[in-house]
Amino acid sequence: MSSTEGMGLIRVSEVTKVYRQGALEVHALRGVNLTVADGEFTALAGPSGSGKTTLLNLIGVLDAPTTGTVQLNGQDVSGLNKGEAAEYRLDNVGFIFQAYNLVPVLTAYENAEFTLLLRGAGPKERREVVRPLLQRVGLGDMMDRKPHELSGGQQQRVAIVRALATHPRIVLADEPTANLDSANSDGLMDLMAELNEELGTTFLFSSHDPVVLERARRLVILRDGKVANPDADGD
Amino acid sequence: MLWRIAWRNLWRHRTRTLILSSVIAMTYGMTLFGMGVGDDSHQRMLREAVLMAGGDVLVHGDGYWATRGSDVVMESGSEVVRAVAGVEGVGRELPRVLINGLLSTSAATRPVFLQGVDPGAEDAWRNLSEDVTAGTFLRDPPRDPLVLGSRLAGRLEVELGGRVVLTASDPAGEVTRALFHVTGILETGNREMDELLAFTTVSGAQRAVAMEGALTQVGVLLTDGNGPEPVADRIRVALGARNGDLEVLTWREAVPEMVGFVELDDAFGYIYIVVIFVVVLFAITNTFLMAVMERVREFGLLAALGLRGDRIGGLILRETLLLTALAMGAGFVIGYSCHLAADHWGINLAMWGLDEVEISGVDVADMVIRSTINPAKWFAASVLVALASLGSALYPAWRAMRLAPAEAMRFFE
Repeated sequence: MSSTEGMGLIRVSEVTKVYRQGALEVHALRGVNLTVADGEFTALAGPSGSGKTTLLNLIGVLDAPTTGTVQLNGQDVSGLNKGEAAEYRLDNVGFIFQAYNLVPVLTAYENAEFTLLLRGAGPKERREVVRPLLQRVGLGDMMDRKPHELSGGQQQRVAIVRALATHPRIVLADEPTANLDSANSDGLMDLMAELNEELGTTFLFSSHDPVVLERARRLVILRDGKVANPDADGD
Repeated sequence: MLWRIAWRNLWRHRTRTLILSSVIAMTYGMTLFGMGVGDDSHQRMLREAVLMAGGDVLVHGDGYWATRGSDVVMESGSEVVRAVAGVEGVGRELPRVLINGLLSTSAATRPVFLQGVDPGAEDAWRNLSEDVTAGTFLRDPPRDPLVLGSRLAGRLEVELGGRVVLTASDPAGEVTRALFHVTGILETGNREMDELLAFTTVSGAQRAVAMEGALTQVGVLLTDGNGPEPVADRIRVALGARNGDLEVLTWREAVPEMVGFVELDDAFGYIYIVVIFVVVLFAITNTFLMAVMERVREFGLLAALGLRGDRIGGLILRETLLLTALAMGAGFVIGYSCHLAADHWGINLAMWGLDEVEISGVDVADMVIRSTINPAKWFAASVLVALASLGSALYPAWRAMRLAPAEAMRFFE
């Protein structure tokens, strides 16, 4: 039994997030509780403004909650400073964003190896990790292409490789199929599901596309900054 | 990897990078060239000032330089010359008798500044023989020879072999007259000198104004590596008890207006450079700030992937460093090429109607501007440009460092 089994790889407790825009306060999250176990393939659903991206940002340590705690692998990451948060993300979290996912001046291969490089991996190690993964996602002959020479679906595949290259415990994907057509969306979801099964990596992704949400093994619905189906939160 | 990203980022907006690097390159290149031309002009002015003064160090009877009076002389001229010759750092002594008077022919009378000189020593320093257009510069002179400036000769309507009469005051204040024979005519190209100067031998001048054995001035030329101030101090010591009757001046003390002009011109030059660079710096800051603002989302992505804030700031600084290196390389080529061209061909200000200028009492007749490299100043300017250019990116880099990843990622959503 792993150390996190029973308590969950991701544990979000009574989290609120308030954005201040001048005198106006926007309550993006209003007391969210969520537990995600190791190896889950979970979708966050909900309409625009329901708090999906905010919750993913807090779990990905891109932002800090106003109140409440976020624990990853048993560690409270709510109070990390910017430098510690960056280190934590590099070692533990992979990201796939909706758009503008790749560094435009780097090739597909260079984008894919970027996080490994930040972790100080040598060229041989990077090559041994990244090449098979790029071939696995069908981009073996497109490694030298710049992002603008790749389709949206191909760019997202590069982002998946980059997210998985460091073997993170968690991959967070914020509306990964939002800019893709249905064929590419299906392909991407198939790929993510396969990698989840093959590698055991935890996937937590947001979407409001019913076709995508059908593929999730667990569905968490957010509405007005709260989990609308608490029975599905695993607690 | 960050260097690679920085280099490629520079060429994402090729036109903008080329314009910005051109601005830096031209500013840097023209600064180097301007300093080269300025240094050459200043050196030339100071050389002219030394020539005009009569040497690196000057020895006179006390008070002569202020009054230029014919009554202020050094009675034992040869003793002064001997004492000066024994001083460390003295390369050559130039004994002179200086007379302000009038030259007359049957055709005209003109004011003259007659210098009685040691022909060999004076010619070796000033290359006066090269300017002689008729006759010789006091070579194998007959008794009472005279070499006249060409314009003065023209005014007096006298030619080689002609006779002229000098009227001047002797040290006792009595008016004396003396006959000279024209043995040479010279044309220096300096209008004032050609109109006013005449040369004879020391003995010829001494006879003319009853100054046998006396001198008005001893010009002192230094050996290499010696500054005028310490040598002047040593000369004062060597002259010992006679020092109270004599004045010892460095050329800087003799022509302080010229030294002041050069220092002032240098100061204005530095102010001008600083003003230009402040303008350029704001342009660079503005451009990099724009580059940061239009890439907020990208910096957010890099931060989200685990790139720390200081390394994101470092990326901006790398881009600036590469741009600066590129621009300064081009700027150096521009500046050095202009320097070489000016040094080889010169820039003739006469093309713009400038024949001759007088600065602080010193005539500068050579109007061809050239360039001289002062390595220390070029190096200092280069360091200044590099630091200023990098400094201009500090604020944009700081802005990029402070971006919160979550906010940055929302930027274009």
